Amino acid sequence: MRLLSLLAICLLITSCTKPEPIHNTQSYVFGTLVEITIYGEPEEEAQELAGEIIRDFQALHNRLHAWRASEIKSLNNAFKRGSLPATIQPDIAAIISDATTLSIQSKDAFNPAIGNLINYWGFQNDEFKPIKIDDNKIKKLVANNPHMVDIVVKDGKASSQNPHVQLDLGGYAKGYALDNALQTLRKHGVRNALINIGGNIIALGKHGDKPWRVGIQHPRKPSAIATLDLDSGWAVGTSGDYQRYFMLKGKRYCHIIDPATGYPATGIQAVTVLIPPQTNAGTLSDVTSKPIFIANPNQRAKVAQEMGVENFLVIESDDKISISADMAKRIKWTDDATAKYVTQIQP
Amino acid sequence: MLRKFSLNLKKSFFNQHPKLLLGDWLIILFSTLSVILMFQQFWVTTPASQFKIRQGNEIVGIFDLNQSRELRIKGALGESHISIQNGRVRFKQSPCSNQYCVHQGWLTRAGQVAICLPNQISLQLMGAKNAYDSLNY
Repeated sequence: MRLLSLLAICLLITSCTKPEPIHNTQSYVFGTLVEITIYGEPEEEAQELAGEIIRDFQALHNRLHAWRASEIKSLNNAFKRGSLPATIQPDIAAIISDATTLSIQSKDAFNPAIGNLINYWGFQNDEFKPIKIDDNKIKKLVANNPHMVDIVVKDGKASSQNPHVQLDLGGYAKGYALDNALQTLRKHGVRNALINIGGNIIALGKHGDKPWRVGIQHPRKPSAIATLDLDSGWAVGTSGDYQRYFMLKGKRYCHIIDPATGYPATGIQAVTVLIPPQTNAGTLSDVTSKPIFIANPNQRAKVAQEMGVENFLVIESDDKISISADMAKRIKWTDDATAKYVTQIQP
Repeated sequence: MLRKFSLNLKKSFFNQHPKLLLGDWLIILFSTLSVILMFQQFWVTTPASQFKIRQGNEIVGIFDLNQSRELRIKGALGESHISIQNGRVRFKQSPCSNQYCVHQGWLTRAGQVAICLPNQISLQLMGAKNAYDSLNY
């Protein structure tokens, strides 16, 4: 009996220190950090699969790039010249069609046709520098009125009725890539994985016997403001003013531009959305945070509803936090003091 | 020979503590179990003792935090200076134009991450247990 107890303790200790069957790959794609974590698969297979997914990401990035030679760049050039319909690949046609639907749903708050505005603000760049802001120029760019519905896709060819339509899928591609990666993982029989593309995350299965847990970045501190358990198939995405921005005369100009005004959205630090399992959960986690980010503070809940988002979290520029009832149940604040700033949005 | 030695050791240990009965062992087992379980349950974030540097897809190395030292890591743009100072670490100098990584300041807790996207270098603090698997930002 004594020996048995000793043995039990020894076993317990060794089982605690046994390394987990977890694989982690990091890479830089889409101008950001990509992280793939695979749990419970042999290391060699996990490594190979993660490599394959990273290569897929790189290929997609190269095809969708908004300001370097790519299929989208060629299409934009064709739009600008007002030339005859240009041949596009079927998956690009599907992306344009899906992005158009979402753009209509958001009443153009999500508008990937405003490439010219994004370029003007200097956000079509690997690094961002303050620009000389010319109000008239911005007015003109807005008045050009580029919309997704201007694009006509027919018989594998695309043209634009408005030469000012310039596609920039920066608010779509990362989410879309998450959905693709999830499919690839499932196809290979992987049961547990977590994919993070520049902060947009999708979960598959669990981390051992627990759900995958993600941290939500504090917009102004180098730490997490909260943690959130992601069940299988759920995706989370954040639009923030702290990753891509420049400062000019003490003012912050972030990369999320309101298509209606032509200026970066202000008065807000971050919007996080949590999307339940569905075929395009990743895409929705990328797209739906933008209209909420751009909306007037008193319109955020309404816009979220219009975008079909039930779980979301908003951090305003005065540090006040509002959170939907569903998300409040799932979130765990890192610092108990944070709760003081939180109000729950009534549905 | 070795087995014999350990058996002898055990024998003498038990002989010296003849009152250690089944109940005592159960209590020892129970307390050890409790300590391990509570440690897992409540030790959610820990002060980090080490950190990992990555450049691109490669792990540059795992470094001890309890030292004062400056590292220079070559990245996509140039050299990033990383400062380690008794339990904390930060980007001190970077060839990138935005300097977001430098503005992040000191990292101290396990799971904290600082990333320099232009230079493709990341610092990640490691502890007994991370508070989360990945970071949403």
